[in-house]
Amino acid sequence: MTASPALPRLARWRVLAELGLRMMLHDKAKLVGTLMGVIFAVVLGVQQLSILFGLLQKNTMFIDNSAADLWIVPPGTTTLQTGGLMSDGVLARARSTEGVALAEPLLFQTATLKKPSGGTEPVTLVGTSLPARLGGPWNFVAGGPEVLEQPDTVVFEDSEREKYGGLDVGSVRELAGQRVRVGGFTWGLLPFGPAYAFTELGHARDLTGVPADKMSFVLVKVRPGQDVDAVKARLAERIPELTVVTRSEYSRSVVITLLKEQLGASFATSTSFGLIIGFVIVALSMFSSVLDNLREFGTLKAIGCTNLDLALLLFCQAALYALAGSLIGLGLVGQMAEGIRGPKLVPIVPPVLLAIVPALMLVVCVVASTLALSRIRKLEPGMVFR
Amino acid sequence: MTTEQAIRARGVTKVFGAGGLEYHALRGIDVDVARGEFLMLAGPSGSGKTTLLSIVGCVLAATSGSVHLFGEDVTALAPSRLPDLRLRRIGFIFQGHNLIASLSARENVALVARMQGFGKQEAGRRAEALLDRVGLGDKVDNLPAQLSGGQRQRVAIARALAGEPPLVLADEPTAALDAQSGLGVTELLRELCREHGRTVVVVTHDSRIFHLADRMVHIEDGRIVEPLLEQAS
Ligand SMILES: Nc1ncnc2c1ncn2[C@@H]1O[C@H](COP(=O)(O)OP(=O)(O)OP(=O)(O)O)[C@@H](O)[C@H]1O
Ligand SMILES: [Mg+2]
Repeated sequence: MTASPALPRLARWRVLAELGLRMMLHDKAKLVGTLMGVIFAVVLGVQQLSILFGLLQKNTMFIDNSAADLWIVPPGTTTLQTGGLMSDGVLARARSTEGVALAEPLLFQTATLKKPSGGTEPVTLVGTSLPARLGGPWNFVAGGPEVLEQPDTVVFEDSEREKYGGLDVGSVRELAGQRVRVGGFTWGLLPFGPAYAFTELGHARDLTGVPADKMSFVLVKVRPGQDVDAVKARLAERIPELTVVTRSEYSRSVVITLLKEQLGASFATSTSFGLIIGFVIVALSMFSSVLDNLREFGTLKAIGCTNLDLALLLFCQAALYALAGSLIGLGLVGQMAEGIRGPKLVPIVPPVLLAIVPALMLVVCVVASTLALSRIRKLEPGMVFR
Repeated sequence: MTTEQAIRARGVTKVFGAGGLEYHALRGIDVDVARGEFLMLAGPSGSGKTTLLSIVGCVLAATSGSVHLFGEDVTALAPSRLPDLRLRRIGFIFQGHNLIASLSARENVALVARMQGFGKQEAGRRAEALLDRVGLGDKVDNLPAQLSGGQRQRVAIARALAGEPPLVLADEPTAALDAQSGLGVTELLRELCREHGRTVVVVTHDSRIFHLADRMVHIEDGRIVEPLLEQAS
């Protein structure tokens, strides 16, 4: 009788992992069913998240693209919206603050565009001061930033052209009761409110009837090499009646407010719904696959497999389901995101999800497999003689 | 540690259920099986044959009594040590073949050796040699579903022997087979075990194979019914 070599645990687990894989591949229907569960969870969850991130981005893009390091806003401001005005004393104080390179006024008001067919459409009219153009238009698909220098010229959102009654570069329309010329188009600058329309600050004041010494926000650029937080602190001290926020603070506050007030609950519900469904499908199909193969598991126990061995076998199966399902699911979400992509929404799949999703699905699948494991643990090896 | 006895069972009882529903499946079994013996265990349905085989095979715990395998009291072992004992000492052949459906004949046979720690190559080589011995040299890559009942049972025999166990336990290995293949399979099992001096216990109803036994033990209603503690050949 040859003595069998000592048994390195890893080698043994490799055998079991391989066996798990073979058993998994053997029952194609179960394999597909279980994968569908994982894919469903990934697609539903990630798709919802990508839409959520896309929507959030639509509402922070203005701030993110403003090229301002600091925003001076009315106290209590949490989102970017039209509202109260501040007077130009603020501007003077900001400009004379140490470390400030630029402090420029921005006007942010709702205005009404008259359509040729009658009827009106609201726009969020943004007045940016030249030549600094902080908070000015970007993402041009027609025209460019220089068109703002032309008199009575406004840049509109490309994807709203039809809605506005068929705009073209050079069209003349009535905005807030005055004739304006269409100078160019931006793409995809669509927050939850009306789309942005951009013009020069003075023109915007004319259109909206805001006095020449009033503005909605002051946008600040810090001198190169200056610490943004230090300048922020100095500004806050000099302008105590208003709030000074960094670009990223403002952006984050918009995100938090939207999550709290509008988007958070519904997206959390649908994302966790996806996870729960996936969990249930994986748990049930792995359980039923163990039930189908009870005799095989009993045999494995009889010939010397321990519960730990079989737990490992299930764990490997769960891990493979998680990995394969995540990859397929993420691939599908990527495809769908391309399909959904439009000016109103560009779904965003943050790269970190590519790591988080498989890890999360791994946890889900491993936890789900414990249902199957509990059945295996109860299995008497003697059952194989029955 | 050279005990004559491969199996030594004393006062083995097994009670299933509890309270009013108690069922005494074994009522005090004393049996000795010598090393290298080819023993058949026969008896009516429900007499306790499978129960006894399960206890000897360490897949079921006795209610009382003791079982020594090759001098070691396995009834005193911690349950956690039993899987490894089964892996190294006992080859099982079941009534159904109980092969893993997703594995080829070779892989089914190699599994035991691989679990014991042999490399894939070595285990595969041994499996092929064994399958060759059981007449399935040309079927090593077939899945169980692609084999006949008799062929599957031959694979099961090869698997039971793959770990080179000193003890082989078979529960009605011919029950699912026709007379011809039943006899063939049992002859094969006897031959292969004899070569290596393995001890074999075969539970069977099948009188057509009784003549292959070194010795018969009859069990009825949980008791051994003939004085069969005679010395083996
Ligand atoms: N797990 C169990 N729970 C309760 N009773 C059991 C259990 N296992 C066996 N029994 C009973 O113990 C008795 C002996 O069963 P066993 O399977 O050992 O008989 P057997 O001799 O192998 O019969 P057969 O020839 O039909 O296979 C039977 O009456 C059976 O119903
Ligand atoms: Mg039986």
